[in-house]
Amino acid sequence: MSEDRETRLFMISPDSTVTPDQLAREIHAMGRGVAVKETCYGCLAEGSRAAVAEVLAEVRGRHPLDVFSKRRAYPAGDPRRCRAQHGTRPGYAQLEAEWAALAMISRGLEACGRGESPRPPAEPAGGLPVEKFKEIAEAIR
Amino acid sequence: MKVFIDPPNSLILFDLVERFGHEPLGAMASIQERIDNIELDMPPMNVTLDDVVGGLRYAGVEVPSGIRGRLALWGPMIDAAEAAVIMTDAPFSFGCVGCERSSEMVKYLIQRRGIPCLRVGYPETEEEAEDAVLRIKGFLEGLG
Amino acid sequence: MTIKIAQLSCGTEYSSVQHEIEKAASAVGAKTVYPDVSHADVKAALDRFGFAPRSAQLKLMIARAVSLADGRYDADAVFITTCFRCAEAALVRNELRRFIQDNTRLPVVTYSFTERLKAAQLLTRMEALVTIVTRKEILARERQSGITVGLDSGSSTTKAVVMRDNEIVGKDWTPSGDVVQSAQAVLESALRQAGVEMSQVEAIGTTGYGRFTLGRHYGAKLVQEELTVNSKGAVWLAGRQRGEATILDIGGMDNKAITVRDGVPDNFTMGGICAGASGRFLEMTSKRLKIEITELGKLADAGNWRNAKMNSYCSVFGIQDLVTTLGEGKSFEDVAAAACHSVAEQVYEQQLQEIDVRRPIIQVGGTSLISGLVTAVGEVLGEKPIVPRDSQYIGAVGGAILSSGFL
Repeated sequence: MSEDRETRLFMISPDSTVTPDQLAREIHAMGRGVAVKETCYGCLAEGSRAAVAEVLAEVRGRHPLDVFSKRRAYPAGDPRRCRAQHGTRPGYAQLEAEWAALAMISRGLEACGRGESPRPPAEPAGGLPVEKFKEIAEAIR
Repeated sequence: MKVFIDPPNSLILFDLVERFGHEPLGAMASIQERIDNIELDMPPMNVTLDDVVGGLRYAGVEVPSGIRGRLALWGPMIDAAEAAVIMTDAPFSFGCVGCERSSEMVKYLIQRRGIPCLRVGYPETEEEAEDAVLRIKGFLEGLG
Repeated sequence: MTIKIAQLSCGTEYSSVQHEIEKAASAVGAKTVYPDVSHADVKAALDRFGFAPRSAQLKLMIARAVSLADGRYDADAVFITTCFRCAEAALVRNELRRFIQDNTRLPVVTYSFTERLKAAQLLTRMEALVTIVTRKEILARERQSGITVGLDSGSSTTKAVVMRDNEIVGKDWTPSGDVVQSAQAVLESALRQAGVEMSQVEAIGTTGYGRFTLGRHYGAKLVQEELTVNSKGAVWLAGRQRGEATILDIGGMDNKAITVRDGVPDNFTMGGICAGASGRFLEMTSKRLKIEITELGKLADAGNWRNAKMNSYCSVFGIQDLVTTLGEGKSFEDVAAAACHSVAEQVYEQQLQEIDVRRPIIQVGGTSLISGLVTAVGEVLGEKPIVPRDSQYIGAVGGAILSSGFL
């Protein structure tokens, strides 16, 4: 069963104008037999692995900077995961936090598109030598 | 290539690894493998006593059960990985990665395997985010 | 009504114990829930709580506790649980327990689990949480009325008490064997002593490990876990129905420490991983000294524990200590005193840290008859506990009092 079923979480970047409703309808219109469930952050798409892969490629093609995706272990609506059953599971806070960071990641993808190179990492400041700290402390005294 | 991501449940890392043409190895696959096993009824994740005992491969019995259970899930994926991307100091580390000691051990296991590994700090600014994504892209493209 | 037990935990799903927790909760008519918090709440909660652990799941536990304390999430009781042997989690677990108690009136129980945890181990604790929530009125009962019987089927002994108009009129105990046969024997004996026929008994209350079996066998009106029943029996016997107290029961298999306010328990701890902190260790000690357990207390009173160092959380190591000390030629008196001191110290270290010990301390259960142990507990806690008369009958007395509430 694991091999067959794939559930995909699509998350829309907070600075995007794409709406969950719009995304869900787009996927639905692709007509690949993939079930779609709209969520507050985007949507869940569920179907055979091959069909979901096609949907993913198409969504990435249309919204490269707006929509991000990962697999989800639980099928859509699974009571083991459902918020209504027990309250939020711990991974919810994780998703919330990652969602907030997506706009920054979009900027990174734009930089990739412009063919930029990363700046060399800044040298770590290192600790203040103890002798120096001692001098400062003594000066204040 | 199979690329292990840490935090293993990160949406951002999963997306970037896949986007740049590799197979991300993360939490979701190993959890799905368990929850889809209809012969087990140990909700929510079907992590079994055997899993936790199996975690002894990675950490001794004096190590708390929650750590061994986590290592039982991630350990085999690290063993199977050909490369890894680690995001350090990520403020999002809930759920699967909620235990700091487990996360430290995961990083160590990656290093011990000696596979190519990129460590990027969690970006605080847009500039840092650009650099992080550019470095991840460069690393993944370099894997061939 | 389903009782909502807020679960604040780390590691349960990865230790293969989450379903056991849920099973225990549902067995007593409750369900576990996770107080909803958002990512933004976590930071604010950590600032308010003032303790920032490294592990994110522990941070989430703190945020959930703050949400309960601020009344933003509605639950009836709280269950705080983390992995056994995790130091970071142990600190958070205990401080959250204190925080919840300081900021809410919700009953709390804490537990540290291993992957071997089974629902049965949690059942008594979960049941007590539910009893405290749902049976407040029954628990508040201060007098026994009519003719009622209490049966306490414990791991070591079985006790029966017959009460009439708020007085004990018959009682007996026997070492536990077959649950029903042992209970029947002590029940008959207690009824004879009371001069009461079984047909005159108006209600029966059962408690202890065999409570369900006995409840079914006798058609009991009250079948209730020993934590709440014992506390009722203890405050009645000690004449401390009003105000605060801590009830300490060092049992044969597990120990209970219960805090009460006006006779109603509001928190408890129940331990039992290590036999070194239980009555069983004293039994083993008596056997090794070739004396009856009833003689151990007096022997201990005549000795000085400082002369025979013995301190172990494990009964096997404890007995090793004992053999070594005897081999060194220490006196039986000193060794008996050291064994009592060791148990008292272990109870203090392992369990009493989990509750706020309130004065007076009422020591009950069979082991409260071992005077040396009571002395040792007093030394460790800095105040000699009260041992009420019939202190070994608390469970049965509690059962008789509470079951009269159904008349």
